[in-house]
Amino acid sequence: MKHRFVSIGVPLLAALLMVWALALAPAASAAGTPPKPVGSVPSSVGQSVSWGQGSVTVLYYAGTSPVVPAACELSINGDKVPVAQATDSSYANGRQLQFSFAADYQPPKGNLKLHAVLVTKSGEHVTYDWTYNNPGAAKPELLDWPTIRQFWWYIAKGGALTVELTVISICFAVVFALFGALGRLSRTMSFKEAWDKYRSWGFMALHTLRMIPYWIATFYTSLFRGTPLLLQIFVIYYAIPAIIDYMHARYSWFNIPYPSAFVSGCAALSLNYGAYLTEVFRAGIQAVPKGQTEAAWALGLSGGQTQRRIVLPQAFKIVIPAVGNDFIALIKDTSLVSTITVNELLHRAQLVGGRTLQFLSALLVAAAVYWILTIFFSFWQARLERRMEHDRARA
Amino acid sequence: MSQTMPAPAAHGGSDEVLVEVKGLHKSFGQLHVLKGVDFVVHRGEVVVLLGPSGSGKSTLLRCINSLEEAQQGTIRVGDVTVECGHWGRTYEKSVHGVRLQCGMVFQDFNLFPHKSVTENVVEAPLLVKGMKKDAAAKRARELLEQVGLSDRAEYYPSQISGGQKQRVAIARALAMDPKLMLFDEPTSALDPELIGEVLLVMKDLADAGMTMIVVTHEMGFARDVASRCIFMDEGVFVEEDSPENLFFHPRHERTKSFLRHILPKEGDNVERVAGGAPLGMGDEAPQEMK
Ligand SMILES: Nc1ncnc2c1ncn2[C@@H]1O[C@H](COP(=O)(O)OP(=O)(O)O)[C@@H](O)[C@H]1O
Ligand SMILES: [Mg+2]
Repeated sequence: MKHRFVSIGVPLLAALLMVWALALAPAASAAGTPPKPVGSVPSSVGQSVSWGQGSVTVLYYAGTSPVVPAACELSINGDKVPVAQATDSSYANGRQLQFSFAADYQPPKGNLKLHAVLVTKSGEHVTYDWTYNNPGAAKPELLDWPTIRQFWWYIAKGGALTVELTVISICFAVVFALFGALGRLSRTMSFKEAWDKYRSWGFMALHTLRMIPYWIATFYTSLFRGTPLLLQIFVIYYAIPAIIDYMHARYSWFNIPYPSAFVSGCAALSLNYGAYLTEVFRAGIQAVPKGQTEAAWALGLSGGQTQRRIVLPQAFKIVIPAVGNDFIALIKDTSLVSTITVNELLHRAQLVGGRTLQFLSALLVAAAVYWILTIFFSFWQARLERRMEHDRARA
Repeated sequence: MSQTMPAPAAHGGSDEVLVEVKGLHKSFGQLHVLKGVDFVVHRGEVVVLLGPSGSGKSTLLRCINSLEEAQQGTIRVGDVTVECGHWGRTYEKSVHGVRLQCGMVFQDFNLFPHKSVTENVVEAPLLVKGMKKDAAAKRARELLEQVGLSDRAEYYPSQISGGQKQRVAIARALAMDPKLMLFDEPTSALDPELIGEVLLVMKDLADAGMTMIVVTHEMGFARDVASRCIFMDEGVFVEEDSPENLFFHPRHERTKSFLRHILPKEGDNVERVAGGAPLGMGDEAPQEMK
């Protein structure tokens, strides 16, 4: 018992902690902290870049010791810039140091990291670091690392919502599947067999009543397996507010708030996965030997007691691997609810892509997070399955 | 065990008719399996059913506690009568009433694999009789003691041998305090060396006055324990007599040819039970799996 907790509970706890940490962690500023002067003199007011004159200017407040322009240095992306001339002059209520490039120097394009060192007469070195986007990248880059660095954490935090969607939806899906499977299995005979059995209209009426769960379950699985999940998400997202409006217009007491996109998404995902899991559960229940039911009946257990205490516990064990598979498939299918503005992984990646126009970088970050999530849960599932096989080997 | 029940007159049964089956017909689709079976079992009797494979012995047992629904006939156990071919509340109540009085032991045990030996035994008393936990556990301990499995109480069915499983199955059925025990080839799935321990438990049960209907091919057991043997073929009772008469002076040709196939060479099976050797009652654990 203790061992089982370690193998199942610990990874689950770790996953929950991870989700929790992701959800609660304060937004780390990817842009970094503003540059601080290293020494006391001169102090920073800001930096500017003006490529037009082929120069870079550092604005600063004068300190007690003047700057020695010839000793100052500038580097871009870690490469020292050939400076033809550095001129120090007053600017507003501070001063400015202008580095003019050598005539043949072309600064690189794209996101640049600038680094200036100002040296004072008294020997102090003051450094300035800042970034500047030099538009019109000359060499196309596949990945835009500054975007990735700036936004990966924002995107990754969407993984928390993805896991949340997955866990909530699989729980509801299992409940739907349980009732779906019991409904699908409630049909014991055809109408013809029912008639032949007693040739009684009363029994036919009873039989018809008993068929209702079967019909409902059949309709449910057929509908949700027969239409695309994406369409189900849209229909539920748009249909529920429409139904609420419709009802409210006719019955004023019918006044409930619209469900959020998150709730609609969960509803669609659980209904769809519930329909697929219904078949899994049905097979699982049927895989429990008939003798188990008979032994329970012979002991006087009722039909419900037999299901609850004897059949379902054994069926659950049988279906755990299949539910695990669907869990992992569901992690990926939650991405579909990004289309109804649920701010999960893919949605965040698309937002970042739209803002920076670096879709590839943003989407690859999302891909990596999905992959890590599925690897994590597959690993956990494999452990669970090994553990169960071990149990079965003893069985 | 023998102290808990009044000892009847040497397996002969009392005058009280415990089971009464009348005109029982059962078909599976076109296959007519039971063709009008009539019989009675008195309280305390041990009836052994014999017959070739497919003759309907299992079907008959399963009809008695309504695991199979017969099309026609009545089945009375104690004061409950099931009218076959009916349906509805009254019918279902009578089925439940019969099942409460019948314990059944299956060929392939059908223990609940997800429950320990003790849990298997207490399950029905807790759920069906609404027994208190302590009382059910106490009764389970007594029953496991009776079948010689006190030391296996916390094991799971996968961890015990076939003979031990069948003894647990007997204890599980006894936990409901049935008036009648149905055994459907309880030793057929067992390795030969494990058969004795199960037969010994059954013999003890018979000695204690339990009414039993047993389908078995263990002729030694039948001769030693049965108060009456019934030979069944193609859905009807062909011949019914004391074990001695049925085995050694059969009147019908079908019985004779069946017995030629099945009877052991002199004294073979008989010794399993009658030999009186200690037959693996708990102290040994053959085929132990860990
Ligand atoms: N559930 C069932 N459906 C169809 N036929 C069955 C079923 N159970 C038993 N039968 C048939 O009924 C006949 C009697 O079976 P059974 O009572 O098991 O025989 P026995 O136990 O004497 O060997 C056999 O021909 C068998 O094939
Ligand atoms: Mg049989």
